[in-house]
Amino acid sequence: MVNYITDLSLIDYTAYALQFLLIFIAVAIVVHKNNGTIIILIASFSLVTASLYVINNAPDVAIAEVAIGSAIIPLIYVISISRQREFIVLDKAMDDFIISDNQFTGIGYILLKRFSDFYHLELNITNDPLLCRLGEGKDQILCEQTNVDLIVSKDPASGEYILKGKASNILMNKLEQMTKDYDNIRVIKFKDRDFGE
Amino acid sequence: MNPILTFLVVLIGFYGLSTSDNVIKSVFSVTIIESGVILLFLNLGNFEGGAIPILSEGVTQIVDPLPQALMITTIVIGSTVTALSLMLCIKVFHHYGTVEWKEVLSREDVKS
Repeated sequence: MVNYITDLSLIDYTAYALQFLLIFIAVAIVVHKNNGTIIILIASFSLVTASLYVINNAPDVAIAEVAIGSAIIPLIYVISISRQREFIVLDKAMDDFIISDNQFTGIGYILLKRFSDFYHLELNITNDPLLCRLGEGKDQILCEQTNVDLIVSKDPASGEYILKGKASNILMNKLEQMTKDYDNIRVIKFKDRDFGE
Repeated sequence: MNPILTFLVVLIGFYGLSTSDNVIKSVFSVTIIESGVILLFLNLGNFEGGAIPILSEGVTQIVDPLPQALMITTIVIGSTVTALSLMLCIKVFHHYGTVEWKEVLSREDVKS
């Protein structure tokens, strides 16, 4: 009869300890809420699996796992999570609605800043001339094909500002409720088109 | 190495995949499942007393190198799948304005 406790060698003890540590980290990744903490946990998870690969006589796989799993994948996660809650605004009006006196003090900027702070978004205002020229009269196509969430333009006849965005975006409904009290701001929502027809 | 403990990691990944409320949490769970499956495959080719599959003098018994070659491919492809799904997460945020599964699936245009 084999005594399982005394017959285990040191490497088996290490393997069992690492496997229980792996299960612990996996549970922590599943139950955690904060994405920043999960990135650190993912990196340590890859490190523990790499040591288990070495115990399984596969050092070549372990090298690949250390390089990719605990260096490149956390980097990809950091980039995507920092860009995830971004609210991109394309400023086509180019007057004191957003920028007045070369500073972000326009009425529209204060409105958008309050909106993005309320929903924990990262406001990113651009007036890229390439995008502005590309979207001349084709704002719906610009909204559909790029990541631009909101287009600010000015109606030359009535002088009111028009905010255009996708109807599928939940944030547009919230922005519409927020700008209900302003007389000179109008919100236009583009419906999704069915390209099959 | 105990295969049951390794399979437990795969099951934890499936649990996270089915209960996650966030699109990014699902991608994390896929990463966990992938690592567990790699460990299971490496455990298949490994046996007691086998050496690292590098042939030199005095080495008679080596572990099976075929699962190792397959699993290197899995790691590389898994990283590209992760990058692609995170890109799709950003696209989902810009289209629906949220990354919560419940809010995305409660939209009327998704239901139909």
